Amino acid sequence: MFERRILGSLERPIERVTVMQGQALVSSDAAIEYSTVLGSCVASCLYDPEARVGGMNHFLLAEPPAGLAATTAIDEHYGVYLMELLVNQMLAMGARKARLRAHLYGGANVNRNMMRIGTANAEFAQAFLRREGIAVLREDLGGTNARRVDLRPASGQIRCRTVEDRLAPPVNPTTRPARASGDVELF
Amino acid sequence: MTQTTRILTVDDSPSMRALLNHALTTHGFEVAQAEDGLAALDWLALNEVDVVITDINMPRLDGFGLIERLREGSRHRDRPILVPTTESSDEKKARARAAGATGWIVKPFDAAKLVAAVRRVAH
Repeated sequence: MFERRILGSLERPIERVTVMQGQALVSSDAAIEYSTVLGSCVASCLYDPEARVGGMNHFLLAEPPAGLAATTAIDEHYGVYLMELLVNQMLAMGARKARLRAHLYGGANVNRNMMRIGTANAEFAQAFLRREGIAVLREDLGGTNARRVDLRPASGQIRCRTVEDRLAPPVNPTTRPARASGDVELF
Repeated sequence: MTQTTRILTVDDSPSMRALLNHALTTHGFEVAQAEDGLAALDWLALNEVDVVITDINMPRLDGFGLIERLREGSRHRDRPILVPTTESSDEKKARARAAGATGWIVKPFDAAKLVAAVRRVAH
């Protein structure tokens, strides 16, 4: 009985949490594993080895909304926002920007019609991390296969495997939430 | 002759600074940029500005601290200060308001709404 209790406290079962498109999740819990399946979508994984905090986002940016000047075919405003959400949640958990290390996965050309947007999303993520001075330790982008990515946020351990394309979620671009986006409140 | 509105944007993210710079300069504003609250205070000690747009989460001196420091002196007591942020909590919004912010902007920001807000607070 006593033995079982000790084992129970030391070896909590791993809780697998799926990171959905448009989400950014961050944790320092050793019993959490983030998991996602990517086709044309891109997942950025960040880890601070000192704070032992990790996080993952998952996105497929669409064309910019009409009237928004953009230099790329994607909604860079929304992309920067999704990356910033991930970075800010990491900082709120004790991470420091200068210590962040990144992994990038996805952006496959699983569907010929989505080729341009998948590649544009991968290039956006690379450019964002370069501009922010966040080192990319490993990237597995492009190609034609879907990928499954698992991240243990407390240890930074990451596994990326090729999976059957039918396992990847449908490739609808991540759209901006309709509510309150860009709203201004003057005090 | 109308004078160009001068704006200081304060954000530690080069990506966000680039987006703000593009949105504001294409609408005819004169834009200067600082990477955190302390850099903003240094710049403001030597330069004049009409509107300050500041992020909250920054190293060294964050947005709350910057607003408080600017409101302490007489020179920036009435300076319009807008806060674009990913924070959605009412507590953070109340804190920005208490520190002396003029307005709160929900990210991802919309360039047209941002420009309208700047024109409104700049008089």
